[in-house]
Amino acid sequence: MRRGQRTLIAVSAALALGVVSSASGALAQDTTLRVAMGSPGEAGIRVWDAVAAQFEEMHPGVDVEMNYQDDDLYQTIGLPNLLSGRNAPDVYFEWTGDRMAQRYADGYGADLTEAVTSGPLAGIYNEGVFPFASVDGKVVLVPHTADVTNVIWYNTAILDEHGITPPATWEELLVACDTLDAAGVVPIGSGNKDLWAAGNWLSHIASRVVGEDVYAATLSGEGVFSTPEWEEAFGYIEELAAHNCVNESVNAVDDNAGAQLFFQGKAAMHPIGSWLVSWAIDENPDLEFDFVNLPAMPEGSAGDQDSVIAVETGHMVNPNSENIDLAIEFLALVNSPENVLAFINDAELAPLAESASAADVDARSARLNDLFKTGAAVVLPPDTGYDVEMALQLYEAEAAVLGGQATPAEALATLDERLGR
Amino acid sequence: MKPTGRITPWLFLAPGLAVFGAAVLLPMVLTVGYSFTEWDGFGPMSFVGLDNYTRAVGDELFRDSFVHVIIYIAATIVLEVGVGLALAGLITMRRAGMWFRVAIFVPVMLPLVVVAVLWSFVYNPDFGLINGALAGLGLEDFQRIWLGDPATALLAISVVSGWVFAGFYMVIFYAALRQIPAEIVEAAKLDGASEWALFRHVKVPMIRGAIGVAILLCVTGGFQGFDLFFVLTNGGPYGATEIPTTLLVKTVFRAGDVGYGSAMAVLLTAIVVGVGLMYAQARRRSERSR
Repeated sequence: MRRGQRTLIAVSAALALGVVSSASGALAQDTTLRVAMGSPGEAGIRVWDAVAAQFEEMHPGVDVEMNYQDDDLYQTIGLPNLLSGRNAPDVYFEWTGDRMAQRYADGYGADLTEAVTSGPLAGIYNEGVFPFASVDGKVVLVPHTADVTNVIWYNTAILDEHGITPPATWEELLVACDTLDAAGVVPIGSGNKDLWAAGNWLSHIASRVVGEDVYAATLSGEGVFSTPEWEEAFGYIEELAAHNCVNESVNAVDDNAGAQLFFQGKAAMHPIGSWLVSWAIDENPDLEFDFVNLPAMPEGSAGDQDSVIAVETGHMVNPNSENIDLAIEFLALVNSPENVLAFINDAELAPLAESASAADVDARSARLNDLFKTGAAVVLPPDTGYDVEMALQLYEAEAAVLGGQATPAEALATLDERLGR
Repeated sequence: MKPTGRITPWLFLAPGLAVFGAAVLLPMVLTVGYSFTEWDGFGPMSFVGLDNYTRAVGDELFRDSFVHVIIYIAATIVLEVGVGLALAGLITMRRAGMWFRVAIFVPVMLPLVVVAVLWSFVYNPDFGLINGALAGLGLEDFQRIWLGDPATALLAISVVSGWVFAGFYMVIFYAALRQIPAEIVEAAKLDGASEWALFRHVKVPMIRGAIGVAILLCVTGGFQGFDLFFVLTNGGPYGATEIPTTLLVKTVFRAGDVGYGSAMAVLLTAIVVGVGLMYAQARRRSERSR
């Protein structure tokens, strides 16, 4: 063998050895735990990153990769893309209801029943949170927070100035609208360009009128919307328009612009969810505000007049993950008393873990959580609890009535037609 | 050096073809394939034959979206091509300074999403510039919910589109007008033609080709419009500004109906290509008849 050939063989062998040893080193070195969610905001991201760092410290060799996507992107195409991608998340955020059930049906939800009853997640929650997190009797989501997606927030100073008490009934709400409108104040500010903002609120009104069972059945695809019950429910939306309760621009501006009317004191009330607390404190620290649940609808309405529209959120574990046990341990750490406290203090969230009840949560957030836990009927928002396409059409119909573009009967007939019912 | 074998040219073409195949052809073929399925994007996929196409043909929202986009295109032909032509005529007549031309062209350089966000502030009914200015001038009766009224929303978006693209067409027409031989212009002037007559009867006919291209760009670009609509109205109010692209995005990304959305995409593409071909044929006929 020539000298040149010997050198070539030696170099090749050395290179091959290097490649093999580096590959085996990589195998032994790191396990990556991937966690995906819609952006929880800057404060929330700091808490999540801290939890990830704690987990990495507790599990040498494990790298926690946090993926925060824009909320809308995550809710629509972001999560499906991640789940079907090569580096699918091991843990991912999800809303309970139809979305969660669909994920489970599509094979992206691990059965976590054992983990929450006798595994690392046992003892963290009150049993009451699991029915929402279950499909066919199996717990498939680890609860984190509950978003009450709609209450009526009010500016205490404006209501006081006009001698209005926070409306507890529908009649009181209409009187408040008349008084405020006459005084040149927008009674209720809302930005419904994207349809869900007022859509959730108006759907809650509808559920109170038609009853929770009829609401759930109709939104699930049973029967039609063009019934006397639904027409009566939509009639109340028409009343809101007739009493100038809502800003004229309601269907032209987005939820942010609607909220600004409230933050800047141009609107006395604002119907939106529990996330307003930290938002309002950020936007206008001097704003004095509080909330009431949706006022009780007139007598004869079929629903529970204390019902709350809310959605429990949490995290699912991908059954195709090679790190299911690690994923469950990670979620146990997320919901540990120390980290629950961090979510409360640093991210102004109100987690569902039992340890949160002992913490010092913003009084309004605590009362919102109590609304969810008191045992009144919980109504699911159309867009997370049911089929999204149906929800969009329902919101369109409600917006048309609120904007005076259609009568209840017309809007419901169009809705049925578009849904092919 | 001449290629030595039949395969040589193909080797040079291969990288380009590979990129084209992966980035253009494959997605197109997949979209056509998806259009025959019912699929939410990641779950099981089921073959449904022509159901999605039948549904699209009978879908009132989809049909209306084409009516809206045609109205939008008609408005933008006036506001973009027409105004662009007028501006080009003005700057050639009056020898407007470079700064004027740059100022008119600047909106073209802004991303459309930025433009849309800016104009959403201008049109905001509660805090916006237009309603604020009208109130300041004592013209409250003229205040409108510009983007929330079905009667004004589509026109309001067309105005924004005109504001952006008039400068683009102005530059195209300006370049074409500069190509007109000076002696023709001089001859017309010696014959006593006014500036308007010169523009109307000499310059415009001589840049007919550029105007034709501009109209084609405006029409095909109109069908592809999305950003302004998505940010300013998202198809609202009450579907008055729903165009095929916004409806398609809602269908695929919000409702998760990839199969139906793909059928919409195929139909939209077929229509745009069809319009382009018809336009090209009409131009050929017109040129032959001259």
